[in-house]
Amino acid sequence: MNEKTILGLNLSFLSSKQTLSLFIFLSVLVLILIIAFSNGSFDFSFISLLKGETTHIERTIFFEIRIPRVILACLVGSSLAISGACLQGLFRNPLADPGLIGVSAGAALGASIIIVFGSTIFSKFVLSTFLLPIAACIGSGVVIFLLFLLTKGFGHQGVTYMLLVGIAINAIASVGIGILTFISTDSELRGLTFWTMGSFGGITWPLLLPAIFIIIIAFFFLSPVLRDLDILQLGESEAKSLGIDVQKLKYRVIFTSAATVGASVALSGMIGFVGLVVPHLVRLIAGVNHSYVIIGSALLGSSLMVIADLLARTLIQPAELPVGLITSAIGSPFFLWLIFRINKA
Amino acid sequence: MSIYSEKISLKYNDKSILEDINIEIKKGMILSILGPNGAGKSSLLNILSGDIESNIGNVFYDNTDIKNISIQERAFIRSVMSQNQPIVFDFSVRDIVEMGWLDKGNIRYSNNINNAIIGVLNDCEIAHLEKRKFNTLSGGEQRRVHFARSLIQLWRESDNKDSRYLMLDEPTSNLDLSHQIKLMNMLKKLANDGVGILLILHDLNLAFNFSDYIAIIKNGKLFAYDKPLNIIDKNILEDVFELTFNVDIIDNKINVNYI
Repeated sequence: MNEKTILGLNLSFLSSKQTLSLFIFLSVLVLILIIAFSNGSFDFSFISLLKGETTHIERTIFFEIRIPRVILACLVGSSLAISGACLQGLFRNPLADPGLIGVSAGAALGASIIIVFGSTIFSKFVLSTFLLPIAACIGSGVVIFLLFLLTKGFGHQGVTYMLLVGIAINAIASVGIGILTFISTDSELRGLTFWTMGSFGGITWPLLLPAIFIIIIAFFFLSPVLRDLDILQLGESEAKSLGIDVQKLKYRVIFTSAATVGASVALSGMIGFVGLVVPHLVRLIAGVNHSYVIIGSALLGSSLMVIADLLARTLIQPAELPVGLITSAIGSPFFLWLIFRINKA
Repeated sequence: MSIYSEKISLKYNDKSILEDINIEIKKGMILSILGPNGAGKSSLLNILSGDIESNIGNVFYDNTDIKNISIQERAFIRSVMSQNQPIVFDFSVRDIVEMGWLDKGNIRYSNNINNAIIGVLNDCEIAHLEKRKFNTLSGGEQRRVHFARSLIQLWRESDNKDSRYLMLDEPTSNLDLSHQIKLMNMLKKLANDGVGILLILHDLNLAFNFSDYIAIIKNGKLFAYDKPLNIIDKNILEDVFELTFNVDIIDNKINVNYI
């Protein structure tokens, strides 16, 4: 039969318009990456780098600081966008966003706990390379599981109910982080503020690699069930009657959301609204089936985050804006617009 | 060949929902379930479809216990249309109907799916809605789209003789009179093609005129289970619905009115 799959994704579910859109997203991303690689507070020519006419310092800045940072922005953008799309599909709620419903806060709390209690036990390398992402993933996983219980298995209970639960969970997590801030030492405190603000600074290759690994695993775990996630939109009983093991599907989607949010929060702190805005833009462009929405969100999320980071580090050189500020500045009006749109419908 | 239940009982928080029910959906027959609100009709359908499990008793699909049939395999044997929930994302009518095509990905580009879907859309008179966004349709139109989806799930090549069953929970709700009759006639035709059909209905006239068997459920118990005319003869409608009925039978057409 005519089954076209690439990297576990079944491409036969993409319309020609969607394939074209994804191709454009990819081209835009490549273009933005080139711009981001060649711009920064330290000025040098990208072309002279390619020709090999650069100094040792320039090369170090490029390979050890700028490239990891841009890749980090890519990863975080695509992770948050994928988890947003996943959670929206799982909850059948267009307003689900890892930040709004407390999943990011759960990850931040997990990370904070390991910073405050782990720093005396583990070396800094082990702590920040391996334990932090794992603790953050567990934190986001616990929150999603809590939501699972509170919404009776993600049953469709109206758009607002889940947001209210999210407000409560966010509050609980910030109490936890607040207590940890209170009992932490000065050096731990610096780590904690970094998580609550969101930043791409100070990234290195060893920190980046485990996160890349987690995110890729999560993506392949999700890709075989994208069609099932479409069918879940009919309702749980309907999906089950169409032959879908809804329980397994939920676990897969929960795992993916928890892993992607956890990995990105561990590296960059809480960055809001990307998971809300990006999947919506992708849906507005060429359709709502998840095979398209998930890949599209990954590509567009990367692009938007790289742009946001580029703005953050170049707008007021040599100082730097928190990148979370920029995404919230774009995302919060969009959120309001969405609420009005849903309210009207 | 049939789907049947053997002494199923269902309890929820110590409250008995269904008690000791034996019922059979035969191939090529229409069985309609009637009864007051909250009698347990939908619970019975959900147990027969395998969506929920009964506390006691078993359900068999063609003599195999449903517990030994995987969720995927069940989908090829029976399709279900329940009382549907809203769909939040902008899926098109075509998208929704295609969700009933079980051999996902594989046969999509063969001619079968296109012909099958166009055929079903025409049968359900929703071909003109194919590209519309599902969530912009009226309640009755949405109902017909879901019906088309459950038909696509059972679509087979004409030489295929697999057992197929259709379970519909209030399929005529929100439909105008003309579409109600058209739907019932389509069901009759499907039954003639060998499909076993289970319906939950509230309209007594539709139920009595189109069904081969009627099951009446009251307070979780099977109150009556017989051919339509026998049920009329026994004059039990009044006990079930606590209303006085006037029944005329002219040329085998049953006409039930409450007084």
